[in-house]
Amino acid sequence: MARIGVFVCHCGENIGRTVDCAQVAEACGSFPGVVHSVDYKYMCSDPGQLQIKEAIKEKGLTGVVVAACSPHMHEKTFRKAAAAAGLNPFLCEMANIREHCSWIHEDRARATAKAIDLTRFIVEKVKRNQPLVPISIPVERRALVIGAGIAGIQAALDIADGGREVILVEKEPSIGGHMSQLSETFPTLDCSQCILTPRMVEAFQHPRIKLMTYSEVESLEGYIGNFAVTIRKKARSVDDELCNGCGDCQSACPVKKIPSEFDAGLGKRTAIYVPFPQAVPNIPVIDRERCTRFKAMRKGKKKEVCGRCLKACGREAIDFAQEDRLITEKVGAIVFATGYQLYSIGEEQPREHLSGYGEYGYGEIPDVIDGMQFERLASASGPTGGRIERPSDGKEPETVVFLQCVGSRDPQKGIDYCSKLCCMYIAKHTMLYRHKVHHGRAVVFYMDVRAGGKGYDEFVRRAVEEDGAEYVRGRVSRLYRAGDKVRVCGFDTLSGEPLEMDADMVVMATAIQPQPGIESLAQKLSVSYDKSGFINEAHPKLKPVETNTAGIYVAGACQAPRDIPDAVAMASAAASKVLGLFSNEELERDPCVAQVDETTCSGCFHCERVCPYGAVEHLEVRDRGGNLIKVIAKVNQGVCQGCGTCQATCPSKSVELLGFTDAQIFAAINSL
Amino acid sequence: MQELVDLTSKLLQNGDVNVVIGYEEGPRGVRPVVAATPDDCRRLIFDHRAVHNLATYLSPRRKHLRVRGRAAVVLKGCDAAAVATLLRERQLKRDDVVLIGVRCGGVYRTTTAEGALSADNVADRCGGCALREPTLVDHLVGDLPPEPPTAGQRAARIAALEELSPAERFDYWRRSLADCVRCNACRAVCPLCVCERCVADKTDPQWIESSPHLRGNFSWHMARALHLAGRCVDCGECQRACPAGIPLTVINGKVGQVMGARFGFRPTDDPDAPAPIGTFDPDDSQEFIR
Repeated sequence: MARIGVFVCHCGENIGRTVDCAQVAEACGSFPGVVHSVDYKYMCSDPGQLQIKEAIKEKGLTGVVVAACSPHMHEKTFRKAAAAAGLNPFLCEMANIREHCSWIHEDRARATAKAIDLTRFIVEKVKRNQPLVPISIPVERRALVIGAGIAGIQAALDIADGGREVILVEKEPSIGGHMSQLSETFPTLDCSQCILTPRMVEAFQHPRIKLMTYSEVESLEGYIGNFAVTIRKKARSVDDELCNGCGDCQSACPVKKIPSEFDAGLGKRTAIYVPFPQAVPNIPVIDRERCTRFKAMRKGKKKEVCGRCLKACGREAIDFAQEDRLITEKVGAIVFATGYQLYSIGEEQPREHLSGYGEYGYGEIPDVIDGMQFERLASASGPTGGRIERPSDGKEPETVVFLQCVGSRDPQKGIDYCSKLCCMYIAKHTMLYRHKVHHGRAVVFYMDVRAGGKGYDEFVRRAVEEDGAEYVRGRVSRLYRAGDKVRVCGFDTLSGEPLEMDADMVVMATAIQPQPGIESLAQKLSVSYDKSGFINEAHPKLKPVETNTAGIYVAGACQAPRDIPDAVAMASAAASKVLGLFSNEELERDPCVAQVDETTCSGCFHCERVCPYGAVEHLEVRDRGGNLIKVIAKVNQGVCQGCGTCQATCPSKSVELLGFTDAQIFAAINSL
Repeated sequence: MQELVDLTSKLLQNGDVNVVIGYEEGPRGVRPVVAATPDDCRRLIFDHRAVHNLATYLSPRRKHLRVRGRAAVVLKGCDAAAVATLLRERQLKRDDVVLIGVRCGGVYRTTTAEGALSADNVADRCGGCALREPTLVDHLVGDLPPEPPTAGQRAARIAALEELSPAERFDYWRRSLADCVRCNACRAVCPLCVCERCVADKTDPQWIESSPHLRGNFSWHMARALHLAGRCVDCGECQRACPAGIPLTVINGKVGQVMGARFGFRPTDDPDAPAPIGTFDPDDSQEFIR
């Protein structure tokens, strides 16, 4: 026989104002099976919890119903209290008479009646609750970090320094990401490579970090604590054991005019190349699309052409026959840190809802460049050795116009969001330019200046006040070539006048977008993403580095536009989450998971098709002689997140969600 | 149909199959037959009266047939779509059956009708059929007859019901479903009612009351309609089997219209086609899934 205790909370005035809690307690006292019913000002307070504990012991309660706020708020609190008094915590439930009642109603009498109904509903459910025990699953205490930009490197170092092994996967030939391309960084103007390369080397040499460059995640199986990830190690065509990074092959390569990705197309590279001198690892890769030998092979020529790198290599490290390799690793947690790319104003756009900027020449005007290209021009390691030269003729530009918000905050072009970093880096660009070209004019067209961050506003002000950047509030409607200049047609919204000027070079702060292919990677990992392709965090405030898939975390600009300090902070946060997960050998999981009734399951596997987590497996049912009777569904309790979709879908109602069984729900509904 | 007789006799003689499920002439029109010898096969026929969906005999619930061994079954395109659904839902192994498709020019509404096919006597599903030459099958027999006419009554009936106010419509269904005696003929005949234990037979808790009372009748017919959404091949067997004359294909037809409009669903004999409302897909057109 059930012995249920009901505890009605006033939540101060929150509930008490609209609901007569004493009347609710009295009414609940008369429900069949309820042996104890009280109301109290604050049930979640210490004395409130004490009442619950004492009642459990004194009245021998078999179930507890707390009529109070949302279970999201305090279910854990009250279940802990119940457990402390010796009751299985899953026999304690909450009736939400705050969000579902007092907060949304005004009529006291009717709200009170509804509160009584809501409580009766839960009482009937709790009468049928079964004691549940948390599921424990072993944890593979190694982590996978996808993307080795600053966020990925930081996360990998933090996890490795915390004593756990890390596999750091990078799709490019070198780690470092976009930060390695930057010249100086705001708001301190310290050299980007100078602060990054030590971290790159540290990651490379760390005994607990296994670096896999030129590699991509192929597929993922498993669940939190027990992932099996398959990584495609792309053919480098160079044996990384033998190569010592001397660079002779690059000098020998005859294909020298390939636009360098690292220099944002402003510099050139060879077909066998190391992206930049400080690359980690310092091992070249052959660009098979452009190498003469591979081109000839693709055309079906039998004769082996070129091969100068092969001859130049003193260590016989060149291996034209190398093939992609698939490597499977077991990991317990994953950090998603794939970073960003810049929006291109060209006509061809990767997504349907985006459109290019015809009014800015679709990227066809040579002296109209983007922010990353300016970084390379300003960088001492860049194609011009740090001299500001415009791409068309190499002249030093006397007037540079900077455009903020190109693509960003422009719903007509398909991107609504603010790219966040541009205000800061444009201010930095004006400073770098003025430091190098003292007599030059730096004119910035802006919508707003968003400089929220430590030392950020001071930095922008310094650009204006000390370095003479001219800020014009307004947008540019058109760019076109006028002689060897770029004509800028804009509008100064502060003076209300149209503005036309000639610039020697135009730098656009184009929108920050997630890396191409992020959707397919996110699908492989079953993490959700927004319409722009940015990875969704599990909660915008309280779970900023978790994804909706347990055991997978997110860091850096793949979640939203992030600057370096933000990306590093997120990476360390994700690493601490991973280390927290790895602090136990076993993982405790909520036991509210799905369970299949083997006797009635017909094995139609509707549940498998609807499961967003891939938790449904096949179970062969055999008789004693080993003959197959049927194949039915089985839920992997380590993977199941308890969403209940399978329970709702099963046509024969052969799936139960523990804690929310049909019997419980049916009785609850029938009580109304 | 000599081609069918020859083919099935050969299948039995060669031991490819143990039985052939097809159509024969019965006392009241065409009826299904299980032929076990080449001699039996001579009785096999196929014409516009071959209304029955023989896929129902492949259901895992037909254990008495399954014990007779490997079966060959004669299928129209719509029947093949039901077989495809059984395959998709793992209720049947492709290797366990031999599928004999018949090029189809449409069927009557009843097994006893006579004369040329017309808008008045043709089955609802036949007009505009895309499955007249099933592709899922192992053998395809017959010549392709001319396209069947399109029946208009059901579409008109659905449209008329949609014109009614919700209260009037509810009243219509209350009157229709009040006749249901819960004999479960609709369930027994349906090739896609394959559950080992039907939800209507679940007793703890009993979601669907089993006595012939309007309350349980509504629950049952709603559950049936929803369980068939995106699966029903519109063979109309449920309505043909119903002794109370409940217009079940009106329900099926309406659900089919919604499935077509919302999910682009049409019955198909491709077993690899996705189940429209039973599939988790991150690319789902509905935003909420992300």
